[in-house]
Formats: sequence, C-alpha cells, structure tokens
Amino acid sequence: MAGVSVSAVSKSFGVTEVLKDVSLEVRKGEFVSLVGPSGCGKTTLMRIIAGLETASSGMVTIEGRDVTNIRAADRDVAMVFQNYALYPHLTVSQNLAVPLVMRRLSALQRMPLFGRFIGDAKAKLAAISDETKRTAEMLGIAHLMDRKPAQLSGGQRQRVALGRAIVRHPRVFLMDEPLSNLDAALRVHTRAEIVALHRRVGAATVYVTHDQSEAMTMSDRVAVMMGGEILQIAAPEEIYLDPADLRVASFIGSPKINVLAAEADERGRVSVDGVPTGLLAPSRGPVTFAVRPEDIAPAGDGIPARLTHVEFLGDCALLHAETIGNKRPVICRVAPDRRPRVAIGGEISLWPDAAKSFLFDGNGKRVSAAVAKQKPAHV
Amino acid sequence: MSDAAAAAYAMAPRERSRARSLVGDGGAAWLLTLPAIIAYLLMILLPLAGVLALAFTDYEFGGTSFRWIGSENFADMLKDRTFMASIRNTVIYCFFVVPLSIGIALLLAILIEAGARGRAFFRAVFFLPVVSLTVAMATAWQYLLHPSIGPVNAVLRGLGLGTPNWLGSSDWVLMSLGMIGVWENVGFNLVLFLAGLTAIPRELYGAAEVDGAKSAWSRFALVTWPLLGPTLLFVIIITMTRSIRVFDSVQTLTQGGPNNASEVLLRTIYQEGFHYFKFGYSAAITLVFLAIVLAVMLVQTRLIDRRIHYG
Amino acid sequence: MRSDSPSLVKDLPRLAVLCIAAFIVLVPYVWMLAVSVKPQDEVFRASLTLLPERWALIENYGKVLRTIPVLTFVINGLIVCFGILFFQLLFAIPAAYALAKLNFRGREILFGFVMLGLLIPYQTTALPLYMGFHQAGLLNSYTALIAPFTCSVFAIFLFRQFFKALPDDLIAAARIDGMGEFSIVWRVILPNAWPAATAFAIFSVVAHWNDLFWPLIVIQKGSLYTPAMGILAFRSVESGDDYGALMAAATLVAAPLVIAFLFAQRRFIEGVTMTGLKG
Ligand SMILES: Nc1ncnc2c1ncn2[C@@H]1O[C@H](COP(=O)(O)OP(=O)(O)O)[C@@H](O)[C@H]1O
Ligand SMILES: [Mg+2]
Repeated sequence: MAGVSVSAVSKSFGVTEVLKDVSLEVRKGEFVSLVGPSGCGKTTLMRIIAGLETASSGMVTIEGRDVTNIRAADRDVAMVFQNYALYPHLTVSQNLAVPLVMRRLSALQRMPLFGRFIGDAKAKLAAISDETKRTAEMLGIAHLMDRKPAQLSGGQRQRVALGRAIVRHPRVFLMDEPLSNLDAALRVHTRAEIVALHRRVGAATVYVTHDQSEAMTMSDRVAVMMGGEILQIAAPEEIYLDPADLRVASFIGSPKINVLAAEADERGRVSVDGVPTGLLAPSRGPVTFAVRPEDIAPAGDGIPARLTHVEFLGDCALLHAETIGNKRPVICRVAPDRRPRVAIGGEISLWPDAAKSFLFDGNGKRVSAAVAKQKPAHV
Repeated sequence: MSDAAAAAYAMAPRERSRARSLVGDGGAAWLLTLPAIIAYLLMILLPLAGVLALAFTDYEFGGTSFRWIGSENFADMLKDRTFMASIRNTVIYCFFVVPLSIGIALLLAILIEAGARGRAFFRAVFFLPVVSLTVAMATAWQYLLHPSIGPVNAVLRGLGLGTPNWLGSSDWVLMSLGMIGVWENVGFNLVLFLAGLTAIPRELYGAAEVDGAKSAWSRFALVTWPLLGPTLLFVIIITMTRSIRVFDSVQTLTQGGPNNASEVLLRTIYQEGFHYFKFGYSAAITLVFLAIVLAVMLVQTRLIDRRIHYG
Repeated sequence: MRSDSPSLVKDLPRLAVLCIAAFIVLVPYVWMLAVSVKPQDEVFRASLTLLPERWALIENYGKVLRTIPVLTFVINGLIVCFGILFFQLLFAIPAAYALAKLNFRGREILFGFVMLGLLIPYQTTALPLYMGFHQAGLLNSYTALIAPFTCSVFAIFLFRQFFKALPDDLIAAARIDGMGEFSIVWRVILPNAWPAATAFAIFSVVAHWNDLFWPLIVIQKGSLYTPAMGILAFRSVESGDDYGALMAAATLVAAPLVIAFLFAQRRFIEGVTMTGLKG
C-alpha cells in the first residue's frame, strides 16, 4: 500500500504556477528523495504533503486515507525543517516532548502550573518523559536534555529536530534539506545515520535535497524535480543509466554529462560535427547527443577536439576539451595512464561509447536509439 | 597612530591582539570621544550631581543663600497633599495606560500580522498619533471631550446616556487623560510588537502545526507568546517610563486640576521648581521621580535576565 | 500561518475589528480638520455633522496667522530639532566608533557611563541646567533649547551596537590603506552609518518636535516659541473658546511632521522600531 500518494497536485501563488500536475507515490517504509535545483518547488510540495499549504488542485492520501482537506496536526506526519525550527524557549527534552504533549494532553492539562494536576496528566507526562528519553538515547543526545537550542551546535540541533520528528512514530516522515546547514564532513556522516534511522523507524519518508549525490546515495528511489514538475522518478541507478529527460541527465552525475549538438541523416545515422557516432535515431533531423564523461575517451577517428585542461584526481584524470566543430565543452574521465600524450592546446579525437550514449529530442525528451555498429573497443 | 595600527595588523593574529592592547588606540580614542565626554559632563553628570545636592537644601531660585536641611524636603513631601495626590495620580495613570495600551497594541498587531490585506495602511494609521504633536492633539481631544459642545457627549446624549464632564470633573479627569494616553501609546507599542512578530521564524508555526497544535490559540501559546517575551518586556518598560513622564497632555488640558485630581509627578516638579521657584523641594521630588524610574527599570531588567535567556 | 491569504469573506472579521480601531484612532484628526473650517456658531451648535454649512476656512486660519507667527514657530521647531540632531550625530558617531572598535584603557568605564546615562530621563537634570543657563545669560536662546540634548547617550549606544556589527576587517583594510582614525570615521564609518543614522534622526526629531517640558522652562520670549508652545500661547490669547481657530492652529503645527510621516512611513516606522529601546 502507498504510504503517501500525491496525485495531480498543482499549486499557484497568485499567477505563478509553482507545481504543475505533480504525482508521486511513496510506499510504506520507502525512502524517496526529491531532488532538484533551488526554487523548483520541492519545499512547496513537501508542505502540501504535510498539510501546511493547500494545493490549488489535486489530492493527497496517506495510507489510503484522503487527507487533502485535513490539517497538518491530524495527518500523522512528522517533518524536519531546513532550519530545524526548534522552539528556542524550550529545552531539548521539552522540544522532544511537544508532539506527544500536544496530542495526548487536553488543552486544560497543558495549562502552566496547575494543568498537571488535572485528571491523568501526571501519568501521561511520565510516559512522555520515558519516550523522549528513549528517543534521545537512540540519537545520542541524552546528555543535552536540559539545554536550550541556542546552546547546541548545528549537528546537535539537527539531531534534536530528527528526534522531535520520530518520537511519536509518524506514518510519514518528511525532511526538508535537513543536512544543508551542516559542514561537509558532518553531512556525509549524518547521511548514513539518517538512512540507518529510517530503517529502524520504517515510515514512508520523503527527503528533499538539492544535492544530487545525497539523493543518489540515500534513497530507494529518486524523484527529479524541475520547474515545478517531476521529470523522472526511479531507482538511483536507473536515473543515472537511463535518464528520461535531458534535464535529468544534466542534473544527475558529476562532472556533468556532455551534451553535443548532433544531426541524424535520412537513414537515422547520428553524427556529431560530421563524425558518425554509431547511433541510429528513429527519424532524420537535429537531435541532442549526450554521453557521460566516463563513456567518452580519446581514440582515433573520433570527434575532433582541442585539449584545454587536465585535472589529475588520483584514481582518474579529467580531460577538458572543446570540440573543434561546434566549440562545445567536453569532459572525459579516463584512467590516469590513458591520458593522451598531447600538450594543452593540442588536438585530440574523442570517441563516445555508443551503447552508453543517449539521444534527446528538441524538447529534451529521450529518443530511443539503436546501436548501428559497435566500434572496436578503444585501445 | 595609523602606522602603529598597520604595523600591528601585519603581525600574526594572536600577537596582534596583544600588541594592540599594549600600543592601544588610546590617543585617537580619547580624541574621538572627547566632544561627547565634555557634553556628557556638562549636560548630564554635573546637573545630576547638582540635583542630588539641591535636594538636600532649601534653596529657592533668585534667593541669595541656602541651608543644608538634610532630608527635610522628603519629610515635607509626606505632608504635602499636592505631592501625595501627584504620586497617587501618576501611579493610577500608569496602571491604566500600561496594560490597556499594551493589550490593545498586542491584539491589533496580531490581527494585522494574521493577514496580508491592509497591513501598511493600518500600521500607518495606528502610528499617526506617535508623530502628531501631543499638544495639538490634546487640544483636539479637549474639543472632542468638551462637556457641552463636544462630539463625544453629543453621541452619548443621542444614545440617552449620561454626559460626564470628562476633563472638568475630578472623578473622570484621570481616566480621560488615561484614554488619551492609551490613544497615543498604542501605535508605538504596536509597531514594536509587529517587529517582534515578524522576527518569529515562519517555520516554527509550521513545526507547531505538524507537532499537533491544532487551534490558533494553541499555536499562540506554544510559539507566539513565548517568543514575544523579550519584546513584551521591552514594551512594558518603555510604556512604563513613558507614562511616568506624562506631562504634555496634563499641562495642556487640565494643569493638574480640578483640585489636584490630575496632578502628576513631572508637573509637580515643574510647578514647584519653575512656578514657585522652590528649587530645593523640586529637586527632592525629582529624585523621587528618578528613583521610581530606576526601580521600574531595575525590576524589569531583572525579570528579563531571569526569564529570557535564549536567542 | 499559511502563506496564501484567505478569501475576503473569511478575512472580514479581522478587517472589521481593525477598521473600528482605525476609526477610533482617526476620530480626533477628522474632527480637528472639520472644526478648523467651521464658523463659531456652528461649533457651538454641537451637531455631529462634519461638513460646515458655511465654510470658515479663511476666517479661522486667517485668525491664527494674524494672531501668532505660526511660520516662526515652525522654523524655530526645525532649527531646534536639526540643531540638536546635528550635534548629537557629530558627538555620538566618533565616540560610538571608539567604543565599538578601538581598544583603549577606560573604554569599559566610558561605556558604563553611557549605560548610566540611558537610565536617566532628561527631566531629572532640568533644575541645575536652568540655573546654569541663567548664570550664563543664555535663557531665551536657541542654545538653551539645543545644548542640553547634544550628548545623546542613546545615540552612542545605538551606533555602538551598529558599528560592532561592521566587520573588523573593514577597518583593518582602511588602516592598511593608510587612513588614520579620523579619516576612518569620516570615510568608512559614516557612509556605513546611514541606516542607523536615519533611524536615529527620525526618533530624535519626533521626540524634540513634540517636547514641551524643556522649552516651557527656558523660553519666555514669543519669537523663540516652539510649535508646541505656540498653540499654548494661542490658547491663552484666545482664552480657549474659539474652537475653530484653535483647531486651525493645532492643524497647522501638527501638519509638518504628520506630512513628513505620510511621505516616509516606512522609514519612520523602521526608525522607531530600531530605536524602540527608549521612548
Ligand atoms: N508563499 C509564497 N508566495 C509566493 N511564491 C512562493 C511562496 N513560496 C514559494 N514561492 C515560490 O515558489 C517557488 C518554489 O519554492 P520552493 O518550494 O521553496 O522551492 P525549493 O524548496 O525547491 O527551493 C519559488 O520560485 C518561490 O519563489
Ligand atoms: Mg526549499
């Protein structure tokens, strides 16, 4: 069953359409990343799932229940905000307790000073205190319980925010760029922890990030979003090896995929700068040819290019070149011993691996391509 | 000087800070602060000492001699019916203006902040009294509250209600001045509250909603109220000290009357000092005034220190 | 706290409350303007109609202008306010820079005095200051109106906070570029002090334009009256019965600042919020 399902959701602020007919399904216990450049509508989509924003049209369901018109408090979702949104006036333990207190205690019982003497408030508070302690221990923040957020480091705050989200075992777990405020080392470390935490909690998780490597390393599936649309949603390998859209191909992968203008002749043979690539397009006309840096290498009789710069990275080298015909930049990732014996500024010839190259039409949509003939493996 | 500074800067950071405190920026610093120091001495510190001294004398302005009379001035105050009325009225005025102007301002600020419509308009309207000459607006109020020709009483008469002599009866005068005070202060407090409210991160409201704060009231209790704490205490201090210093409207409208029913501290100081020229006595009352202001600030800054230790 | 605004209908209760409050706030202004164009007999009829049957605009305003030199009062007000402001900035900015960015022995003590000054309302020092100005023969002068306010500890405090937030490297760079402390104040600090300076300027002008206590003490000469004193003077001449003319006078003296506010609302409100620490 779907943990969360978003169907055909659109959202406009005034005249600007921020989300266009977005659909997304997250299974129970699945970890789905929402990745895309800043401003593409990720936060908006997340807030709609949480119930903090109302969609202009479309439907949201959580475990089969239509929650489109149900407010956040009743949706049983938890959220980690980008800036953590910890209550600055409450201690860590109080922050962790808020979701439980708000749900279990009546308004009267929440009154300051004497509320705790009403009915079973004391027993409930004791239970809440146990649960927050357990959560804190799980996250390794038990020693910080009496501090206020201002007295915590960024990493500690982030843990408290995580704790506040998981303490009540929500059905859906939403995280909006939870790592973007941490320094690089801590970020990589925390990635693994979040994944481990997700396995333990097992809630349907939507994880928003603008960092494609975060999305690729953490998720069961990745949804690539751009300009208010989800362009592709698939497992990380599929997104990388079989992109459905030029923008997806360009966004995922570092260094970026090489994009070259190409032309298909009347028999569909695709050539770049007049050099046949060995790919066959379904029809003639201009197409966009794309190949990842590791799938193009110097070899005889390829696309002529000028070497502009070489980066040596240890396990590989990045060759930066510019095609001579169309003056397009190309990057090749090669084994260090395969770097060509050409000085900077010298001419090289680049040969793309047709089986691993992609064709896109004028709108950036993937065009199915056949491999005409396999060139002999580069030597 | 700047050579020394540049030289110091060229050193490694740790050495630099040591060198800076050794070489110091002394000369230039004292030159830069000198005008302010002189003005401070002449216009604040010396007169303050003067007031402290005067308060223990029987000096009358224009007189040629004076005696040190210890605390006699303060003893006289206790027997002075005008002064006692003045203290009482100032306290009542404060307890009327402070809660009302703060409560109304908070309510209006929350209402303004709750929606996008008319924000700038309402803010400007409510702020208008702050920039309007108090004496001029007091005059307008005098007309509005006029017992026979004033519109306020005309409305009351139309509704078949009683028509008090707002500024002329000792039962009503303090309340009338208080209402004018509220009218004047609301805009000021409102603007401060708006600043406080906009400083609360939006995300916290989202977090509160996700955490299960369903009603607007529970979100107010969980987020708005505690986060507005520092602003609120500031506003209380400001409104307190502003109300203790009420003078313009009283001087314009009632001159302390009728029968001392609207006599307030600053006016008593003014009257004793610059009307009867009893400088010694007036200085003593000034010290009482200062003591009250300091006490208010002290109590409230203590509260701030105790309650607000985040952010 | 959704970002999209609710429909107008849902918003209506909120707007209604705000409108009522706004109406109450505006009542005195509306009546002040209305009465200022009414002839005396209509004022005394105590009707609730705002517009006059017979316009007495020229009559009332003419009477004010003939009886008291309104323009002189306004000019006095401007001279006093801007005189005070000029010296406050002149004294406070360098001092605040020194307190914020320079290391020198005695800095903590000086700052202690600033904090002390913040606690003391200016009315406290009125008596000795009066004696001083009397001794110096300076009563009834612009000096008496301006001098007591030239050292604004509040300005020093405000600018110090503001300058503390400027990066140290900015000043270090200026020193490396060969500037002395005075040129740093003039060329680096001053251009960066504008936001704080406008905020403080508005706060200061509003406070001193509205002040009555001190001018009442040191000024007897009519030609030096400030706007606030002007109305009081007009009232005593008129024995306060000709409400039409009185409202005309009130309108005239309140107008300059109110108009300035209407033109630069945002700056005014920012100014007050930024300086809101002290009233
Ligand atoms: N409350 C709002 N009013 C108007 N525009 C908004 C609002 N919230 C977001 N937007 C706009 O919607 C777009 C998407 O924003 P957001 O969802 O925050 O993007 P992301 O999280 O992917 O960076 C942005 O162009 C932003 O300017
Ligand atoms: Mg975002």
